[in-house]
Amino acid sequence: MNRFVDLILGIRAVLLREMLLLKVKVGRFGYVFYSLMSPLIYLAAFGFGFGSRVRFDGVAYELFLIQGLICMTSMNNAYNLVMTSVSFGRLSSKSFQSLITAPVSPVAIMAGLVLSGMLRGFIAALVIVGAGTLLFGVFALSWLSVLALLLNLMFFASLGVVVGLMIRDMESSALIMNFFIMPMSFFSGTFFPIDSLPGVLRGIVTLFPLAHTNIIMRAPALDKPVLVSVLVLLLATLMAGGAGVRAMSRYSE
Amino acid sequence: MILRAQGLRKAYGRLQAVDDVSLEIAAGEIFGLLGPNGAGKTTVIKMICTLTRADAGTVRINGHDIRSHALQARGALAVVPQENNLDGELSVVDNLRIYAALRRVSVAPNRIRQVIGEFGLEDKARVPVQKLSGGQKRRVMIARVMLAEPELILLDEPTLGLDPSIRREIWNIIMQIRQRGTAILLTTHYTDEAESLCDRVAIMSRGRIRHCGTPQELVAAAGSFVLETAAADGCRVFRLFGDRDAIAREIGMEPPSGQYTVRAARLEDVVAAVETGS
Repeated sequence: MNRFVDLILGIRAVLLREMLLLKVKVGRFGYVFYSLMSPLIYLAAFGFGFGSRVRFDGVAYELFLIQGLICMTSMNNAYNLVMTSVSFGRLSSKSFQSLITAPVSPVAIMAGLVLSGMLRGFIAALVIVGAGTLLFGVFALSWLSVLALLLNLMFFASLGVVVGLMIRDMESSALIMNFFIMPMSFFSGTFFPIDSLPGVLRGIVTLFPLAHTNIIMRAPALDKPVLVSVLVLLLATLMAGGAGVRAMSRYSE
Repeated sequence: MILRAQGLRKAYGRLQAVDDVSLEIAAGEIFGLLGPNGAGKTTVIKMICTLTRADAGTVRINGHDIRSHALQARGALAVVPQENNLDGELSVVDNLRIYAALRRVSVAPNRIRQVIGEFGLEDKARVPVQKLSGGQKRRVMIARVMLAEPELILLDEPTLGLDPSIRREIWNIIMQIRQRGTAILLTTHYTDEAESLCDRVAIMSRGRIRHCGTPQELVAAAGSFVLETAAADGCRVFRLFGDRDAIAREIGMEPPSGQYTVRAARLEDVVAAVETGS
């Protein structure tokens, strides 16, 4: 019982820090622009450009696009903001030292950081849902898409912690962004179905967690099975979470 | 003993940063690690506060081993690092709130108000930390660790780069903390700081503790008097002697070519002698 209370209090403390930092950042124009303007521009440009003329498997492109952008935006926000918070705190401000030397378990630190990333990503996803409803009259969420969203947020926030703990300098984060996150954003079915890709590329893309988030997100509209994708995302989240706790336990400067 | 560290070692590549360091600190004691930059003082602090993993050795804080009972050990200690590690974008009071939550300080709002008052930070409470001066940031960092009233505080170069008046202010704060019965391990390369604050001092050089004792014991053991002479190139040369007679014999056998002075030895002479190996 005591351990559980300790865990909850530890998570609450880490979450408090992240939320206070978020409160300061949200007031800045650049932060909101960085987090949300790109997906909103994609939504308006591709939605108005192709929306009424394109259908995939009988599904209107507006719905396809909004669901893809929900996945991409939630991924970017959960991953980027947690990764930046951890790496900046470790390498630049040194404020991460306060967490790591506190009487808080690595599991609690990990869970607090992941929850903060999930919350940020969820808010960003809700903005896309709202914008989609306002611009195209399409409400893109179902219970299955909420599950997809939560799994997506949990995985990418966990990945953000792991990368934030591993990188040796801030430049490395750009490398991972350019060679892993960005290609994943574009090829995992955000803007067009994965089936359109050539065979080899399609094989690679099916390894991307974001591709599975898109499959679950669109399952009700496309009537496709989701079990494998749910299991893949759960497994990936467990692996990333485990790696994060391990890295936190073995942390050494 | 609040702190018992034995056989600590840490290497970075080929550099042996810390080599077989052992020390013990009692409740209410101020213990100083004195030595030049690169002596290994900060690495010792980082190993004790679990920020850096030791290659070998053990640390027990209030009886808790820092590896097997890390959370209990961390709960008994607090660290004020050399570099500012506050969240710069957040206000003083928000930084204190976070620390209080991490340390599970009971009745945190009252305690935060109390500490802000004790450290004279009332007018800065809502100011983002990044807008404070170096001395004010250091005060906030010390105020922050006092929230949880730890049994041991690690202060890494607490007055590095501060104005003389702020140094004195920090010294007073350190003395007040000691009066509450809190043990303090501080690192410094200022010998006057070690002499003024510390009950016992360990002189570190190239990763090892070379001498340990009260400042008076260290001076007495190394030699109570200094013969200071001018070399041909104009540099001053210092040599430690046990008493004035020994200096007189030295001068009688080999009279200095230029001017010379004899004075009582200070801790800085001992540190310099350790560094030069004389």
